Amino acid sequence: MAISSFFGSSRAVFFAAILLRAIFLAYGVLQDAYSPMKYTDIDYFVFTDAARFLSRAQSPYSRDTYRYTPLLAWLIYPTTWPGFWFSFGKVLFAAGDIITGWMMFRILRTYQNMSQERALKYASIWLLNPMVATISTRGSSEGLLGVFVTALLWAVLAKRVPLAGFLLGFAVHFKIYPFVYATSIIWWLDTDRTAPSRTNKAAAPPSPLSLLFKFATPQRIALAVYSLITFLGLNAVMYLVYGWPFLEHSYFYHLIRIDHRHNFSPYNTLLYLNSSPKEGTGFTAPSSIELERLAFLPQLLLSAVMIPLAIAKKDLSSTMLAQTFAFVTFNKVCTSQYFLWYMMFLPYYLPESTLLASRSTGITALALWVLGQVFWLQQGFQLEFNGRSTFVPGLWASSILFFLVNVGILGIIIRDVREKAPSTGEIKSPKKKV
Amino acid sequence: MKERITYIVKNPEEFTPEQLEVKDGAFALKGVNAAKEHRITLGLNELPRELTKALEQWHELHIRWASEQPYTAIPPFTSRVTPGLHVFFTPLKDRPEGQLCELLHSAFGSDLKCSSTTEAPIKLPILSERFSMSSSSQYYSYLSSLSTLITYVQENLCRPSSSSCNQTASSLLLASYLDIDYDTISHAVILNAYWDSASNADAWTETVTLPSRDQTIEIGVLSHEPNPDPEDIGFGGFLTVLGQDSAPKPTRFQTPMRHYPLPSSPKLTYTTAFSHPTGLHPTLHISFPTPLTAPNPTCKLHTHLTLPSYLFIDKYQFSDALFLSSHHLRSLRSIAGATDLEAPDWVVPQWGSAALFELAVPKTSEEMAKAEWNASIPLHLRYLPAAQRSHTRVPVPWPVVFWACRAEEGTKMAVNPFDRLHLGYEGLFGPKTRFMHVPPAEGGNGTGRLVEWIDVPVLDMRKAAWVETGTVVTVIVAFLVLCWALFGPIRSGNKDMGRGKNASKGKKKQ
Repeated sequence: MAISSFFGSSRAVFFAAILLRAIFLAYGVLQDAYSPMKYTDIDYFVFTDAARFLSRAQSPYSRDTYRYTPLLAWLIYPTTWPGFWFSFGKVLFAAGDIITGWMMFRILRTYQNMSQERALKYASIWLLNPMVATISTRGSSEGLLGVFVTALLWAVLAKRVPLAGFLLGFAVHFKIYPFVYATSIIWWLDTDRTAPSRTNKAAAPPSPLSLLFKFATPQRIALAVYSLITFLGLNAVMYLVYGWPFLEHSYFYHLIRIDHRHNFSPYNTLLYLNSSPKEGTGFTAPSSIELERLAFLPQLLLSAVMIPLAIAKKDLSSTMLAQTFAFVTFNKVCTSQYFLWYMMFLPYYLPESTLLASRSTGITALALWVLGQVFWLQQGFQLEFNGRSTFVPGLWASSILFFLVNVGILGIIIRDVREKAPSTGEIKSPKKKV
Repeated sequence: MKERITYIVKNPEEFTPEQLEVKDGAFALKGVNAAKEHRITLGLNELPRELTKALEQWHELHIRWASEQPYTAIPPFTSRVTPGLHVFFTPLKDRPEGQLCELLHSAFGSDLKCSSTTEAPIKLPILSERFSMSSSSQYYSYLSSLSTLITYVQENLCRPSSSSCNQTASSLLLASYLDIDYDTISHAVILNAYWDSASNADAWTETVTLPSRDQTIEIGVLSHEPNPDPEDIGFGGFLTVLGQDSAPKPTRFQTPMRHYPLPSSPKLTYTTAFSHPTGLHPTLHISFPTPLTAPNPTCKLHTHLTLPSYLFIDKYQFSDALFLSSHHLRSLRSIAGATDLEAPDWVVPQWGSAALFELAVPKTSEEMAKAEWNASIPLHLRYLPAAQRSHTRVPVPWPVVFWACRAEEGTKMAVNPFDRLHLGYEGLFGPKTRFMHVPPAEGGNGTGRLVEWIDVPVLDMRKAAWVETGTVVTVIVAFLVLCWALFGPIRSGNKDMGRGKNASKGKKKQ
């Protein structure tokens, strides 16, 4: 069959992935040139403006709403050169997609022991996904993160701990949220896995001190040290060069931001309600309980503590999927670009998931996930463009429903990983090819 | 105290000198159809102590209020500002914080959005450094009526016995615009009010009397004369110094004008409207119902927007040439004030922002042939506080529209006895600029006002009782469900896809 011969050739798949992005890129250039409605993402203008400030020896933070590391602006510095160079960043982001896809393919082949065809099929969830291609060719940097995070996963699976530490530190410097992966990687890197032969479980109850020594393996210490040095080193350099605005815009802004503009987060309506001043009483009156201030608790407990502890040893890549899913679902701000953060882990999880095994579950989950967004978007459109006050119940209800759908999917992911066979070093237990 | 009253007769053919009479230290007009300007200059020592103290906090203070009712701007009173209350000021160097908000709240209304004098005003951009007379800061608020000021003047400035003072104050209710100026150099306060017509039957029948023997009042009854020089306007008529002259004296003079009238034909006007529904991204349309032609080749069409804080402009939208031309805009020349693209209205301490756009004019013959020309400016709304209703209504005063043209003699404009400065936009142009204002259409927004109202969707608190509980309970339940998924009992160790109910269909396709 044409399809199977297509997925049989890595060249064909990667050529198609590159072609897809080239077409989107060219289309975007044309639309930008001839239409006042731009294909290019607003954020891309933020990055390129910031790069232009760099080229004039100014701070990238001179550009309003630039809330990223200066490295991003440096990475796309060539966009300040004339002519087609303006699209350099999009080409870079699209190339990042392809590299990510290639690493996915390698991980699936090596660590999930898939046939080439099967690995290419699952890598195509990313490579041939029009949503992924659109996001990167419109000039959003979220896809670039895929390179770092996927490389991190690969480095960990390949036991290249110093490299993994460096990538983890770099990814956290770049986008903060990958810090949740630290716990799952540390937890996953146990002696059982990293020692050449499996140690026996101690018969006698070990003392806390010996447990601690047992936990603090050289690998774990190395990962912590390398990632901390990278993270702190990058921050120190950026702080020395760009000063307070770097810390303010790259980090503190994300910690204190309360995004009032409606978004997918279940907290959104509550945040709007509780941060707005009550009528007749001058400036902001704080709400009675401010429960929304505790929103980080379930989010971080789940994504950084409980999920890694419960399932990281079974399957690292699926655990990272579950962590990201929990982080995004329970976040105080949630826009569709964040969905890319977990999409990059789907190729590792889906092959053995209930979502694919049980067609009805999978289709129902996908349909609900899409419908949740459609319902929300419809309510959002009524608000933004028709001026209808859909905050309550419409937007609130749709964001709660979408949240519940996501929680349901996350539950399925978690159960799937838990129900897996007790993990051995994945590379050492090749699964039968199906 | 000094006073000057100027009447500009609208229809010189209908006017005869017999309509004026000077008798017993009083000046009487009978049925004169005219526009009127009344200027009162007060020394600081003539004001109440508290007011003097308040004023002395500033280097200069210029208040401009314009009515939202459309009015005819007869030369030399051609200049315009957006309806509402504008305050332009420069604080003293050693005293950066004047008590502006307190003064405005007591004199103009306690509901003005002005919570802190350091934060509410915005810094004015000065594109033309040579325009050194520009003030450094601006404050604005929509204000439909001067009634609070009238009470304030009557209670603080007028002696209760002085009926003429009380009457003059009340007459402000019908004024088209009012200027109040103070600066440390002149040490005087100048109040200047303009009425485009008399309240009763379009004709002034009134008697001006001297408040005291030692004072004089200058009264001019003027009409336009044919233009002697292209940049001047000529006036002829009668001048009377009440208290000195026993009869009106004929006069004739000409003066250069910074704000010059447009040619009377073709009569150009504009209207402002929002496309509906306005949503959260209202688009402001400025329409010119008659063909647009520049009064002379150096003229560029501009609009100056005064946007209260609930509206903002995303300046980054206006850097794309295609976007600009699709909206019939040439460029965003200047933007100042609250331009944060994310903040909701209640965390914006400033009153808002001011923007100057250059508008495109028809170029091609096809465009010129069109009867109407339309420019549009995309705006964005901030979130407004949650309220006991679904929408909050907010006013958007009409912007001003003018041609900015090159003037040969910039410096001479200041000799114009009617010159009006500190309007918020002159500082954005060079000193050799002549402004030719396009008047707003007489009908205004359809109800005879120069203000549009937008219904902003807000979180309706009447429906929000369950939001807090609902959200918190949902999150807690979801958290517990996930805890159960993480740590609850499972069928473990099933290496192949045996997973309860799915086990039977669980075979993969491949």
